[in-house]
Amino acid sequence: MHPWQKMIIIAAATTVLIIGGTIVYVRYFVKRRLLISTTTSLYDTGLSYEIEKTFEAKYQIDLQFISVGTGMAIKQAQNGDVDVTLVHSPSLEKTFLEQGYGVCRKIIAYNFFTIVGPQSDPVGIGELNATEALKKIADYGRSRGVKVWVSRGDNSGTHQKEISLWNVIGAGYNYTLVSKETQWYVSGGSGMGQTLLMANEFSAYTLSDIGTYLKYLKEDRISLKAFITEEKALLNVYSVIAVNQTRHPGVNFNDAITFTRFLISNECQQLIENYGKNDYGQSLFCPAVQALKQDSSLPASQWIKDSAFFDGSECPQEYRDGHPELYD
Amino acid sequence: MNEILEGIIKAFQLIFSGDLKIFEITLRSLFVSGAATLIAILWGIPIAMLLGLKNFRGKLLVKGIFNTLIGIPTVALGLILYLIFTKAGPLGFLSLLYTPTAIIIGEAILVTPIIVSLATTALEAVDPEIMNLAKTLGASESQASMAVLKEALNGIILAGIASFNRAIGEFGVAAMVGGITSSTALLTTGIKLETDWGNIDISIALTIILLTLVLIITLAVNIFQRRKK
Amino acid sequence: MSTVAELRKVTKIFNGITALKNVNLKILEGEILALLGPNGSGKTTLLKIMAFIEKPSKGEVYFCDKKVTDKNIEQVRMESTMVFQKTLLFNTTVYNNVAYGLRIRKFPKNKIDEEVSKVLRLVRLEGFEKKNSKKLSGGEQQRVALARALVLNTKLFLLDEPTANLDPKNASIMEEIIATANRELKTTILIATHNMFQAKNLPHRIALITDGKISEVGTPTEIFGKLSKTLVSFAALENTFIGNAIVTEDGTTLVDIGNGVQIEATIQSQGKVSIFVSPEDIILSKRRFESSARNVLKGKIVEILDLVSVVRLKVDVGKPLVVQITKRSFNEMKLNLNTEVFLAFKASSVQII
Repeated sequence: MHPWQKMIIIAAATTVLIIGGTIVYVRYFVKRRLLISTTTSLYDTGLSYEIEKTFEAKYQIDLQFISVGTGMAIKQAQNGDVDVTLVHSPSLEKTFLEQGYGVCRKIIAYNFFTIVGPQSDPVGIGELNATEALKKIADYGRSRGVKVWVSRGDNSGTHQKEISLWNVIGAGYNYTLVSKETQWYVSGGSGMGQTLLMANEFSAYTLSDIGTYLKYLKEDRISLKAFITEEKALLNVYSVIAVNQTRHPGVNFNDAITFTRFLISNECQQLIENYGKNDYGQSLFCPAVQALKQDSSLPASQWIKDSAFFDGSECPQEYRDGHPELYD
Repeated sequence: MNEILEGIIKAFQLIFSGDLKIFEITLRSLFVSGAATLIAILWGIPIAMLLGLKNFRGKLLVKGIFNTLIGIPTVALGLILYLIFTKAGPLGFLSLLYTPTAIIIGEAILVTPIIVSLATTALEAVDPEIMNLAKTLGASESQASMAVLKEALNGIILAGIASFNRAIGEFGVAAMVGGITSSTALLTTGIKLETDWGNIDISIALTIILLTLVLIITLAVNIFQRRKK
Repeated sequence: MSTVAELRKVTKIFNGITALKNVNLKILEGEILALLGPNGSGKTTLLKIMAFIEKPSKGEVYFCDKKVTDKNIEQVRMESTMVFQKTLLFNTTVYNNVAYGLRIRKFPKNKIDEEVSKVLRLVRLEGFEKKNSKKLSGGEQQRVALARALVLNTKLFLLDEPTANLDPKNASIMEEIIATANRELKTTILIATHNMFQAKNLPHRIALITDGKISEVGTPTEIFGKLSKTLVSFAALENTFIGNAIVTEDGTTLVDIGNGVQIEATIQSQGKVSIFVSPEDIILSKRRFESSARNVLKGKIVEILDLVSVVRLKVDVGKPLVVQITKRSFNEMKLNLNTEVFLAFKASSVQII
């Protein structure tokens, strides 16, 4: 059918034109973009928004934050779908570096997880430390059979931290065991914000990063109380890792380094320290660069080195790709 | 309640002051959905002509497949496309993930079944003898097909408008392959983005624009259909 | 006179049904040839083959003494045109409809304007150029279709039941236009009809067709005169019946057509006759009423044919009679299949052939 053939040709030509045109436009006529995969914890607090605004005002680079769970963020970096990743799970990060997917890791911030729960504290964890609290919550849940603990249940940094806490309590309380006891242990399977809302609904306890918790508390979305905080066991470290350009030649490595440099710059570190002070009365994040300097006396400094350093460094030599200025 | 009203007022102020970000997002949305609809029309009409005018084995099956695909959940299609466009996927080398191009492709695929289905119905509604009639007046096979197409034009235009409506209001595909980020934000993903960031006035503004667009288009469709009769 | 088109041993089979059986027919230049036969006799199929939009299953078609093959079929199509029984107009202005064929033949715009207005004058639709074709009455639409075909001035002109869906007034207008076109433009016309009176007055020659076969070809006088052979063929046409006529004492003729049906006619006749009652002459009512009509028959509606502006109903009064009423009457009377109705017609409406 002759007109039919003509139509197909027109359709194909226009499709190629439009797709080709948009690709060319995005690649050459618009600001270069940097794709960053990050965790919902950073996104939900709004810190990534602040960083994006400040960075874009300074540089002619278009930042695109893709906010997913930590596990997914790392996977996207592995695939090369993003140029750089900002996560908070040292164990996953170590594997990431070892498998050769990432380079030039820098620790940029830290805060503490906290165990939050209903104001009335039915379990009575007020004076306990993290692991003691979890044990008591499990006992309470087992005896009463009510939903008393909500877990992230995803591959996030928060969830990894929760798993590690359960596994140090002792026999009968390891993660694989308790997570199956669904009469009292609820697996949310979603981001930090959603998990908090769920805990609020069930009047249950959960592990949360301080940032998201404070934000949601302020916005009146939850009425939970933070019981335990600022403990070594609850340390939460955020690092930035650029995707290895040898592994994925097309990634925007240069801008990833620029971004990393920005994150550890005084300006950004100040931004991180001040973020939330006005709105919540306290910082949601602590700048890590100063804390890691040799002469720092902060207890957190040692804690970070203990839990988030690999072979005595935040980024061993073999995982660096030039840019010695990043490390001292 | 007060906050909501404040938000709405601010939203209108933003719209009428010609706020740059809102303008950019609206323009991008119109372009992306418009391009997607155009591509879908260009591919959909030949397919519809095949289904509406010719007979072949398995025709009913193909028609059935397209009719079913109309209802595909956008997020499901979004995921399938994500898996295709990711660097680890078959078309990863094109680096299309998280670009407006990917959204155009995705929405075009989403909307093509609508065009095919509606256009086929429109073509089938044309008296089958029109083709013969045109031939008796001297038309060649191709000219006669064009005459049939012209008779079905009203239905086809309707199909195009309905498709654009669907494209501009969908969220799943834009979110999965375009990402919920400021550089690729459309009206729909923009609403989610700005709400997540707490900029309720912007997200209300975008919602107002989106609803207005969809309303106007739906009204236009209704008027058009009535005038056809 | 030369032959414009010829069918030689043409057979056409659709889905196992033989529509045309071994048809041989010549159409001579400048003549009006009527193809007369009942519905379903294969008239439309034959016309479509003559219009070169259908190909015969067996046999050959010749146009101006040249055999029509796949190679020349598109050129040959340019030389013949057809007006369909069902009015098919494009959903656009009258002008665009009429100009369609001219545009395909790549006529220049001013020539198209000229020809369109000439032909619109011929079909008595002067000034209708800008009107939307769908907004016209049934009769006007059919005339636009006629104009669209006439304007091309092709060698062969095919009309499929051109007046079948029209009321008597519009029907006679159509017949006049056709006759004028043939007279002035010398167009060769093949017209398919089941209306015997159209067949009597309009054409130069008649070809009788039943069940896909051509039984006879001749001039109207020859065909209508040869009662013995054609009686059998006519019996198949609607509202024609063979019966036995007796002249009664008071001078009227009663024709018994079988199944207890007796028809009174004013024309004197005796013995075996063929009678015909035009569908338009029959009045349909739901109740028996007194009138001057001599023939009143009760029956049930067994078939309804919706022809847009008119509705044809087949009523079984013992024998099937076809009645034609306006769409409006049909809707107002709320008629359905199996509705009991009364048919009335004057004795003078009965025509003896």
